[in-house]
Amino acid sequence: MPSERQKIAFLAHCLLNQNSKTDEGAYAPAMFRPVVDVLREHGYTLRQMPCPELAFAGVRRFWGVKDQYDTPLYRRHCRRLAKLVAALMEPHLRAGDDVVLVGVDTSPTMGAEFAPRSRDWGGRPDRLEDDSTLEPGRGIFVEELEAELGERGLELPPRVGTRHWWPDYDEAEERRRLEAVLK
Amino acid sequence: MRGDARSFQMALVAEPELDRLLDVLDEERFGAVQLPPGGLDRETAELWLEQIAEHVAEFRRNDYAVVLLDDGEYADALGRAFSGLGVGPLPRLAVPAEPDEVREFLRQHARVPAA
Repeated sequence: MPSERQKIAFLAHCLLNQNSKTDEGAYAPAMFRPVVDVLREHGYTLRQMPCPELAFAGVRRFWGVKDQYDTPLYRRHCRRLAKLVAALMEPHLRAGDDVVLVGVDTSPTMGAEFAPRSRDWGGRPDRLEDDSTLEPGRGIFVEELEAELGERGLELPPRVGTRHWWPDYDEAEERRRLEAVLK
Repeated sequence: MRGDARSFQMALVAEPELDRLLDVLDEERFGAVQLPPGGLDRETAELWLEQIAEHVAEFRRNDYAVVLLDDGEYADALGRAFSGLGVGPLPRLAVPAEPDEVREFLRQHARVPAA
């Protein structure tokens, strides 16, 4: 009898620990339940990924765009953490388990389908004209994870990003988008 | 910090216990930091615990409450990772434990203890 395929969701750290968010970024006291609950309803085992920004820039950091964080040193830091995630993910991918990655589509680091970009934004977060935009693409950690998996002959699993800080956030839309990648 | 919805408190949780304790943690406003699953090779496990210790050191440095719900799988290695970063022992409850026991423990160690 073949063993049953496992369902494993690798999710951004902050979805289970809102304390890791940037200053003013926590949407809930402890966890972001709309995403966590959908994963549990569908029988997924949760695997929390590290928060690269927290370890690198600290808990008092303000938000930023991908273009700020995109330095060789930060990429090396992300790759170091990506190796750990890849080590957990690899046996599930090789076994053909149902693996999904749940990121945060406002994060320069954990963006799954979108990441904030700006050519020159880099000042204080209360700058009146924040000209950053959310553009299709991945965050730096997700890119490094893709590279790390690639070196192991593996592809990034299906992925989705929560968008609860998007101006037009719609919980029902997010649930549909999440369920589209779940088995 | 200008402030947001965060609770300033969290628990490190043994991997097999996370799903069972998730509701209690959320109800008590504790974020979760999942410890690595058992069965990892020693090097990978120690590197996982090292990055968790880096998270904890940063939270403790900023006066966040951090507790440990630990099944003993990585007790020694976690202790070494903490001591390497100057993090002292955390309030600890051995799990598995009944949800009510966990709830009481969390309330005792909340950043603002329940009345």
